Amino acid sequence: MAKKLMKGCEAIGEAAINAGCRLFFGYPITPQNEIPEYLSARLPQVGGTFLQAESEVAASNMLYGAAGAGCRVFTSSSSPGISLMMEAMSYLAGAELPVVVVNIMRGGPGLGGILPSQSDYFQATKGGGHGDYRVLVLAPSTVQEAVDLTQDAFDLADEYRNPVMVVGDGLIGQMMEPVEFKRTISPEDLPPKPWATTGCAGRKPNIINSLLLNPEHLEAHNWHLHRKYQEMVKEIRWEDWLLDEPVDVLIVAYGTVARICKTAIDVLRARGIKVGLFRPITLYPFPEPQLSAAVDKAKKVLVTELSTGQMLEDVRAVVAGRKPVSFFGRVGGMVMTPEEIEHEVDKLVVQG
Amino acid sequence: MPATIDTTEGTCALDLLKAPVTVLVGHFGSGKTEIAVNLAVALKHRGENVTLADLDLVKPYFRSRLARHELASLGIPVMVPEGDRVYADLPILVPQVKGLVATAGNGVGRAVLDVGGDDLGARVLGAIAGLTDPAHTDVLFVVNGRRPFAETLEEVVTMLREVEAASRLRVTGLVANTHLMDETTPEVVGEGLALAQRLAGLTGIPLLFCAVLEKLSGSPDIRAVVGELPVLPLVRRITPPFAVKARLPVPQKGAAVV
Repeated sequence: MAKKLMKGCEAIGEAAINAGCRLFFGYPITPQNEIPEYLSARLPQVGGTFLQAESEVAASNMLYGAAGAGCRVFTSSSSPGISLMMEAMSYLAGAELPVVVVNIMRGGPGLGGILPSQSDYFQATKGGGHGDYRVLVLAPSTVQEAVDLTQDAFDLADEYRNPVMVVGDGLIGQMMEPVEFKRTISPEDLPPKPWATTGCAGRKPNIINSLLLNPEHLEAHNWHLHRKYQEMVKEIRWEDWLLDEPVDVLIVAYGTVARICKTAIDVLRARGIKVGLFRPITLYPFPEPQLSAAVDKAKKVLVTELSTGQMLEDVRAVVAGRKPVSFFGRVGGMVMTPEEIEHEVDKLVVQG
Repeated sequence: MPATIDTTEGTCALDLLKAPVTVLVGHFGSGKTEIAVNLAVALKHRGENVTLADLDLVKPYFRSRLARHELASLGIPVMVPEGDRVYADLPILVPQVKGLVATAGNGVGRAVLDVGGDDLGARVLGAIAGLTDPAHTDVLFVVNGRRPFAETLEEVVTMLREVEAASRLRVTGLVANTHLMDETTPEVVGEGLALAQRLAGLTGIPLLFCAVLEKLSGSPDIRAVVGELPVLPLVRRITPPFAVKARLPVPQKGAAVV
């Protein structure tokens, strides 16, 4: 298929269709409105259903129903809307239902603003809803990667019978880049889901539920889920950039921020400063051994995010005091410039 | 960097815009904002007094208002919602735009109106008096055939008619702007030109010029594809933060000709 010029949001919508998803339930919120807008036009063309729910709470519980019936289904929202979906996220994880949820993050807390942010890292990777659960979290840094990861997200959700989140700062959703759709699958060709509630004529009924009153059963269920989350480490993805040789400063950043860092690193390298980048692509599971190996090659570590320091905590846990870790964040919709990153690296180099 | 100067022979894109008001309409994401900003800068280069009005009531990011400080430093005022509302995604029509349109050409210079995408974005134009006279207003429909829902002749002609119905205006000229940003090839430009030419043939609306990224616009391969059609070289000014930013040139009065 010829390349198209697409906004991140549109590309995510088309990626879902290429992944065999024909159901979208959601509610508008900036800066992700182009996902529902796009799908409201596209899904009817491919025999799918676009439904604007009365709220994010409703949309996320519609996901529960559709996923329980064995359908590929997804929703998207932005930070405050995602907060409203967190009860359902916990239920979906508890009932082991595969769904894809896209969060195009904006500045918070509260209603915040409509400009880009990465301040929902904790919410995405540490739970967000109640109970001992995790969701697999993917963080693209280009529109093409948003396409590829969204398609993968549907496969991963089915494989682990668990919600998968794709998180992008607002820029990922709003910027335009050329993209291609490398693979496509129709709903009929998807693997069967023998656990789904599709009508029980001729077989034992399947039950989808997250209520387990017997504590022994609930404990066993929790340990079962825990083992599943541990298995997800084989899905870890990351990018090493200019880390073949030892570096003076290792920058750790994800999403669009990683690209801002690359622009800065080009300039720094041209000035002879040894600096490289580690980019987590899965935020959960966090690429701990891979980051640890990168840290071994560095004198100092600089974490930079569109938050006041959330991924920073995971990086510090990996570094475990071996190297100095410093932090540079912009929040509220303000985005760091390549020049600011250069300046932060310069400060670390001058300190020696 | 005199990026908006077209140094090649032939008719200049700006010469085709006779009316004091230029309105950019078209599909969502077709390139109206970059063209509006580049046109404003090009007009300023010619020594014209020009004001840009950001009437994009559709998209929340990458609006022409992002360049408002740089444009102001060049002497190009940008009309945007006041105060913190400039950051909002609210459908605000700045009332001064009506005055700008009414007085443009009467010794107060020119106006470029950057309008939101699709019929939805064009609807705001129906609220502004004085745009219906082609002698007063050029209404340019921008076509990028590599955008979703803008790939076939049927899709672009349908959108053109929907934009006309929503804005209550007639499109007076077409702009070919088919591109894939840095991955634009002569073939991509050629395909887009063919689409725009077919749209012109079907509607009778003239294809005025072809917009091409400035760094590609001098390429002989691109020129061979474009032929005699005037080219508007574009410098991307509304860019994401990781882009190595194009600095706006400081115009020297009367020095540059587009």
